[in-house]
Amino acid sequence: MLQYVDVSIDGAIIHAVKGTSVLDTAVEYGICIPHLCHVPYLSDIGACRLCIVEHVVNGHSEITTSCTLNVEEGMVIMTNTDRIRKLRRNLAELLVAQAPNSRAIQDIALRCGVTEVRYPFRNEDCVLCGRCVRVCAEVWQARAIGFVGRGKNRHVEYALGVRPDFCKQCGNCVQICPMTIPPCDGPMKPGEEYLCRKCESQLMEEIPGSCSWCKLGEGFGCGRYV
Amino acid sequence: MASIEGKVGEPRPKDVHTVVDGLYHQPTILNNVETWANVPSIILNGSSWFASRGTKNSKGTKILALTGRIKNTGLVEVAMGTSIREVVFDIGGGATNGNPIKAVQTGGPSGGCLPLDKFDLAVDFDVLAEAGSMVGSGGMVVMDEETCMVDVAKYFLEFLQDESCGKCLPCRLGIDRMLEIITDITEGRGRMEQLDLLEELADTVSQTALCGLGKTAPNPVLSTLRYFRPEYEAHIKEKKCPAGVCKALIAYSIDPDKCNGCGVCVRGCVHGAITGEKKQVHVIDDQLCQRCGICRSECKFDAIRVT
Repeated sequence: MLQYVDVSIDGAIIHAVKGTSVLDTAVEYGICIPHLCHVPYLSDIGACRLCIVEHVVNGHSEITTSCTLNVEEGMVIMTNTDRIRKLRRNLAELLVAQAPNSRAIQDIALRCGVTEVRYPFRNEDCVLCGRCVRVCAEVWQARAIGFVGRGKNRHVEYALGVRPDFCKQCGNCVQICPMTIPPCDGPMKPGEEYLCRKCESQLMEEIPGSCSWCKLGEGFGCGRYV
Repeated sequence: MASIEGKVGEPRPKDVHTVVDGLYHQPTILNNVETWANVPSIILNGSSWFASRGTKNSKGTKILALTGRIKNTGLVEVAMGTSIREVVFDIGGGATNGNPIKAVQTGGPSGGCLPLDKFDLAVDFDVLAEAGSMVGSGGMVVMDEETCMVDVAKYFLEFLQDESCGKCLPCRLGIDRMLEIITDITEGRGRMEQLDLLEELADTVSQTALCGLGKTAPNPVLSTLRYFRPEYEAHIKEKKCPAGVCKALIAYSIDPDKCNGCGVCVRGCVHGAITGEKKQVHVIDDQLCQRCGICRSECKFDAIRVT
């Protein structure tokens, strides 16, 4: 028996299923909250911080990730305030400056309103979203890869650096990784990175908050595509 | 909690508080050892005994770890509401080597730096937080005119970068980029627009990070920008470090009026940067000099200048 609660998201009263996250509820109802590390069938870890929203409580706003916040009766959520848009834009700017060599990341940057990148570009292959680690652990129960190292040295690796025999090379980790879709104009060489601003997300810049059927959602099944 | 449960030591999102769902999903209260240590005395002596000291919202006492350029360093317990001035000049005994005291960093690596004209502020949770710092762990590092505040911000960013778990984007990448900008500034590559970017980035990290480390990591940067902005601007506009600390922006030279050619510095310099005959004024080669400061500490005639 499904239980429901009424929550307010961006002023709209939504009849949400109790026990679901604010992010799942919003996406279900066509309100796009950009996200990267969230995958509908995997656990939410709140690592990318892109899905942040303002949770209005006792007259003041708390900034929290909508993927880790479960709906409660009477909750008031704002997903697209000036404050949120600015924070999300700065986060997306950091993200694309770190790993511009992916169409999905470029799309997210555009979707979050990044118009210029004020940091020197780097050319990293991994954004540490944890999708690969979680799909291996939760869907396949294999746990062949995991996070190793702390802070700047954090990276994804096989245990002790060697692929174990219980990794059956199913390829799910590769399939779910946002870095595996190269930019439209081809891979960017180190030193030649740029913000391309070409994705379909540009069509939705006039109407922030609505779904733009972005590349990331299409490739990896955001709630709208599933 | 994660470590006790056998997981990797990483913080969890606190949308559900630990008092509801904590260790092994049981209601859990987490506190610092110092907080717990207060409990037996309060139970034995009563809450009014404890509340008789302190301020309206910060009751009781606090242990402060007093370090830096003052005569008396160590641990001291003071009533909440005691002024920073009293702690630094009365209890701490004031400056240790005659250099005027310039600032105090309170609360540990995630705390902020407060200038001399804020020393009348009370050691109080709300007061220090409002001023851009925090009581935190009670750390109080006293700094004098020979401390470069930009270097201090850089030092704490390096520490926090090392301690960051790396899970969330703003802390992992934000601290890294803040450090990149500050390093540029301390090495003479800073641009004025970077100061605005630094402030915006620090603000973003503090609002979006997952845990307390990320949320407070920008404090050293934000507080030094707030109270010591002229130092940042000197590094950028004049490419000078007023405190004489940032190695790329200072030069060591020998004052010919004070040097008597004793040769102690020549022998002491591990980089072979100083030359000079006995009883002749010695000279430092700016290219070879690494600004390590050995010559300066060894010279008994105070002949080494830093500009």
